[in-house]
Amino acid sequence: MALLEVDHVAAGYVEGIDILADIALRVEPGSITGIIGPNGAGKSTLLKTIFGFLHPRRGRILHGGREIQALAPYAIKRLGISYVPQGQNIFPQLTVEENLQLGAWIARHDRAGVASILERAYATFPRLRERRRRRATSLSGGEAKMLSLAKELVNDPVLLLVDEPSAGLAPRIAHLVYDELVAARARGVTLLLIDQNITKAVEISDYLYMIEGGQVRREGPREHFADQLRQIIRDSLLGA
Amino acid sequence: MEAFARRVGWCLLAYAAVAWVPWVTTEYHTHVFTISLYYVVLAVGWNLLAGYTGQFSLAHHTFAGVGAYTSALLVQHTRLPMLVGIVAGAVLATGLGYVLGSLCLRMRAIYLALATWAFAESIRLLVTVEYQITRGDLGLRTSLLFGTPRATPYYYLFLGLALAAALAAWEIVHSRVGVFMRAIRDDEEAAAAMGVDTFKWKRVAFVVSAVFAAVAGGFQGHYIGLLSPAPMKFNEMATIVIMVIVGGLRTFFGPILGAVFVEVLSELLRGWGEIRMVLFALLVIAVARLYPGGLVGMLGLAVQTVRSRSPKSPVGRSTRSAMRSTKP
Repeated sequence: MALLEVDHVAAGYVEGIDILADIALRVEPGSITGIIGPNGAGKSTLLKTIFGFLHPRRGRILHGGREIQALAPYAIKRLGISYVPQGQNIFPQLTVEENLQLGAWIARHDRAGVASILERAYATFPRLRERRRRRATSLSGGEAKMLSLAKELVNDPVLLLVDEPSAGLAPRIAHLVYDELVAARARGVTLLLIDQNITKAVEISDYLYMIEGGQVRREGPREHFADQLRQIIRDSLLGA
Repeated sequence: MEAFARRVGWCLLAYAAVAWVPWVTTEYHTHVFTISLYYVVLAVGWNLLAGYTGQFSLAHHTFAGVGAYTSALLVQHTRLPMLVGIVAGAVLATGLGYVLGSLCLRMRAIYLALATWAFAESIRLLVTVEYQITRGDLGLRTSLLFGTPRATPYYYLFLGLALAAALAAWEIVHSRVGVFMRAIRDDEEAAAAMGVDTFKWKRVAFVVSAVFAAVAGGFQGHYIGLLSPAPMKFNEMATIVIMVIVGGLRTFFGPILGAVFVEVLSELLRGWGEIRMVLFALLVIAVARLYPGGLVGMLGLAVQTVRSRSPKSPVGRSTRSAMRSTKP
């Protein structure tokens, strides 16, 4: 059974306008599933719909066979689904440590449990340990992105939804972020990844969907995409 | 646990440090300080909601009134002990806060302020109009907690209350709930994306601050001896807002310093009448423009300047302490 199944979902922000027209996709456990497509294709909207910020007008979203499309974000989080939005999803007025604690407190209600989660997070992201007492505002773009990712990974989510992990980052930093995503998969986290960086998405994903106009235009395993990369990039840029 | 014991120790020390005030001042000055301490409880409670959670409610003074009237009426009609009356006031404030929070907290910013203001005015009018029960503007006599209108025993009571409120606020802000509250204040959408049930925790903050106000109001009613709808006017709420902003919104010591400073200043300027509110408004504008950190921010800056001038202390240490003073 697929870990996540999006079953012919339609959704949108404004009455009468569907951003997602009819999306059907499956995410297999232990894999990275990539979603690519031109701007305005509905990629971010898809993640917001899965995470409960938006409820579908039609169709179902199934997690391990259970319907979750009516749940609020905090309830979806309790199922072990985490969401890293585009940009920096951190709390600038909190310290780095408090940002991580926030992630940990969602799952644990005891201080000892939270402390052990933090210890693991610092082991994975040593750079954050150095800056634990600093306000998150003082972090660089790359560090902030690491923190956004770290505070979602601290609870070992079953499924991680990642929107544009490399947007606005220097290539060297983006590389580190992708390494973390691949490392998370190695630890058994399933990922659903949206990316404008098609080359990179094709490189690390096991299975890909290309969506456009709120519908799946093309799908297949990595090899299927890797062969026609140039063609896909051109189509995607031109929105053909 | 050990850290908690240390903080309780600090509170006891603070209590002892200012316990001498009634011995060396007049009855009138003791009264002014007692009322200052009453406002400390209100300001600390409102700072939890508006400062740390970012929910700008304008009904905080109303919950103080609810606490005061509930306790006064209950004690008058049932002859129950006053402490029971005060607890009843807090329970009613919890219920009202829960209902009002449920209705209003899905609104954002200015809409929340307007809705809570409308609630505050409705309750004030209700208290004024239902004079068969509340005696309206005629004023409702209350029994005195210590059987005397003299300020000294009440000073010690409110000093204890203010320190307890400050300690409770500290514990809340640094707990799991506190991290959620501050995350909501920073970015509500992002907090929801983290899995924080934002509505639930905003409502918790709302109820907690309402209880702070109701307890303070209940005790204050049994000190003053006469209740009227006047302190439920918007002026009172404005005073609380001024205290917190002048002291330093979203700082721990801000509302404490601000409440004492503004109340004492307000007494010093008593001869000026209502012009005082204009002066305070100007003060708020000046603080917001020049020192957004309020009195606490200014003190932090002063400490930083002094430290960086003394050659012995390294610069790193002084900047760190300045950061700590405005945290979190």
